[in-house]
Amino acid sequence: MSAENMLTARSHRASRWMATPLGFKVGAILVLAHLLVAAIGPFVAPYGPGEIGTGIPLSPMSFAHPMGVDQLGRDVFSRVLYGSHIVILLSFAGTTLGLAIGSAIGLLSAYLGGFFDELVQRLIEAFVSIPYLVLGLLAVYAAGPGLSGQPILMVLVIAIVYAPRIARMARAAALDIVTKDYVTAARLRGDQAWSVIWHDLMPNASSTLLVEFALRTGYAPALIAAFGFLGFGVQPPTPEWGLLISENRDLILIAPATVLGPGLALASLVVAINMMTEGLARVLGRSVDLATR
Amino acid sequence: MILRLVILRCCTAAITLFLVSIIVFTAVELLPGDVATSVLGQFAGQEALVALRQQLHLYDPPVQRYLIWLAGLSHGDLGYSLGSQQPITDILGPRIVNTLVLSATALVLYFPMALIPAIAQAVYRDRALDHVLSTGTLILASVPDFLMALLLLVLFVSVLHLLPAVSLVSGGSDLLTWLRALAMPALTLASVMAVYAARMLRDNLIEVLRAPYVVMARLRGLSGRKVVLRHALPNAITPTLNITALNLTYLAGGVVIVEKVFGFPGFGSLMIDAISFRDVPLIEITVLLSSTVYISANLLADVAAIFLNPKLRPSRA
Repeated sequence: MSAENMLTARSHRASRWMATPLGFKVGAILVLAHLLVAAIGPFVAPYGPGEIGTGIPLSPMSFAHPMGVDQLGRDVFSRVLYGSHIVILLSFAGTTLGLAIGSAIGLLSAYLGGFFDELVQRLIEAFVSIPYLVLGLLAVYAAGPGLSGQPILMVLVIAIVYAPRIARMARAAALDIVTKDYVTAARLRGDQAWSVIWHDLMPNASSTLLVEFALRTGYAPALIAAFGFLGFGVQPPTPEWGLLISENRDLILIAPATVLGPGLALASLVVAINMMTEGLARVLGRSVDLATR
Repeated sequence: MILRLVILRCCTAAITLFLVSIIVFTAVELLPGDVATSVLGQFAGQEALVALRQQLHLYDPPVQRYLIWLAGLSHGDLGYSLGSQQPITDILGPRIVNTLVLSATALVLYFPMALIPAIAQAVYRDRALDHVLSTGTLILASVPDFLMALLLLVLFVSVLHLLPAVSLVSGGSDLLTWLRALAMPALTLASVMAVYAARMLRDNLIEVLRAPYVVMARLRGLSGRKVVLRHALPNAITPTLNITALNLTYLAGGVVIVEKVFGFPGFGSLMIDAISFRDVPLIEITVLLSSTVYISANLLADVAAIFLNPKLRPSRA
């Protein structure tokens, strides 16, 4: 690369950074704040997650109890702080597993083509046609009572819900990569399918997969919370946010802070990741459709 | 040619539905190991287990069971609920009617809720109003539906004092009770759908407003309102219908959680109850039905796109 080329490349990169949407910066700061809370929450929380008698039950929000006190006299703010790392870890683990399974299936399907591709496509279509919440509920039911309420079940549920959707995306992204000469060359060289997928398809589909991963990670906390809220997620007394909202939902008209507090934590995390995703997609020149939940 | 395309699309939808039925059957009857133990619990008596296995034909091989189940479905024999021992058709009927009324109400509320902000944003694009609404819809798009339900509950009950906190409907309820019970879940579903639709419609409308014929209409001296309503909006109808069909696919799953939040006696809360009580036949049919809605909505969107968008039609060479 000539010096002139390098210079334009660098100034291009600089201008791209300057042009980074404000939303991305705000989102990134909010995500960092959430990660910080997840890391230090348990050490700075004023009360323990299950500590009872911390205040008068159902008392309104105050400086001592910013999110109020629940029926058992537990401080909701402390419970939200303790729940943060649970929500974030489960979301991250579930989405990562879904990404691994989904991109492996999608890329392999695009690479092999033919009958296998046709079969995989039909199966993906079938899995996607079960609304995501319903598919998750089906998975919870199929896992049986042994796994129910375990955190690992939530990781599996998210992976099962996301894998077909990510596979569809990965396949679409890989379809025009597999027609490239270097893939044909690798194929003719006699490279193994997995080697081609890992060395040629994966790096070239990475920006699509990254946006997809960010988008899915953003909705994972909402999905975990929905299952917690319905009573199919992690077991009480885990301070998972959806579970907190469900525990306190009868108090919503008496002590709204006990529901709105965990709700704000959940919504702000999802908003933050979504804003980052939108910015990331714009920087990478990808379109992102926030409606494809 | 169009007809062939439509028929082809219908065939793939049928194949998808068939595969979904296999997935559902596998997940409900094969994966949990012994279904009878899974339904009755580990401490169930041997006699009860045997009786349930006989009722569900669990002694037959899986493929035979699946085919019998499918044959039953195809002529409307849905079997009996394990919980209430009533025919499933009797339980399902009124629930489906309730959910259809709820969905229809939500759709009626949804159109103005999506169109008005989208038009306002497109007309005043890149101005303060547009930025405020964009940020607002982005934030609302990140609020999970069950939380949206609770937020609306606080707004309408505590802040505005418009509605009672809990509305229970039963067969003998009068119309007013019914409408009250309908209002909150319908409003929740409409809001969730409208937020997505408004975001996408805004971009579509802006694109249309930049089109040469719209600029021409402006240059001819037509008023801004006339340009938007007469010239731009009709061309934004196709994307609106598409987005609405997408939103119908959301509705297929969205009713489940929203009905549960408000205790609305519809199809979605029936599904949750079926899963809680491990009512095998009821789980199968409710899951299959929600997928059918999803698949039909997608089919509808594609067929509408084929008819409305000449570019998708194959050329008549």
